[in-house]
Amino acid sequence: MMAKRKMSLNELSEKVGLTLSNLSILKTGKAKAIRFTTLESICKVLDCQPGDILEFELDKR
Amino acid sequence: MSKNQDFVIKALYVVSWFIFIGLCIESGALIFNFTYAIVNPIAAQNIYKGLDLSVLHQKQFAHFIGLMSFIVVISTLKAYLFYLVVKIFMKLNFVKPFSAEIARLIEKISLEVFSIAIVGILAKQYTKKLVELGYDISFANEYWSDTGAFLMMAAIVYVIAQIFKRGIELQNENDLTV
Repeated sequence: MMAKRKMSLNELSEKVGLTLSNLSILKTGKAKAIRFTTLESICKVLDCQPGDILEFELDKR
Repeated sequence: MSKNQDFVIKALYVVSWFIFIGLCIESGALIFNFTYAIVNPIAAQNIYKGLDLSVLHQKQFAHFIGLMSFIVVISTLKAYLFYLVVKIFMKLNFVKPFSAEIARLIEKISLEVFSIAIVGILAKQYTKKLVELGYDISFANEYWSDTGAFLMMAAIVYVIAQIFKRGIELQNENDLTV
């Protein structure tokens, strides 16, 4: 979605108001949970739906 | 953390240092006097703070060694327990209190307290047998009079350690919530 919007991680971080390290935690899938407010602001900035940025994957561990 | 809490923590830190030093001196003196009493029987008359085991030394040297070993082991374990307590105060960080190291130390303390209680119970039984044999060594009981309290404390500290472990999990979850 970031590539579609031609947005860099730095730009997204500035617009959403999240630190780069937190965004990287989200991107690498290390996050245990995401706040609705964070999800809302990411969707607002990227102009998309939660389903566009979230994906269900079976835990292989 | 409020100023009051900060003061209490600092005061407890200082007190635990004092207790640790006191216990180190006690166990050091006991170890030294015990080894000295093995070579020189006169030293058995006043091993530490009026602890007179001269009769036992003369009549049953093996029991003297056994009883003194219990006393030395318990006082050394108590000193080590306070070493762990001092270590906890040194590592404590109230910004991020739930660390794996603190949890490990608390669990170690519970194990330590439990071993003091177990050694104390064994020493109590041993003293009882010696009293039955006709030796007046009731004054040695002060070293293991609080075994019940130690057993209770071990259980409580163990529960606290388990709660602390859950606290670490919650803190990790919180850290990974974006």
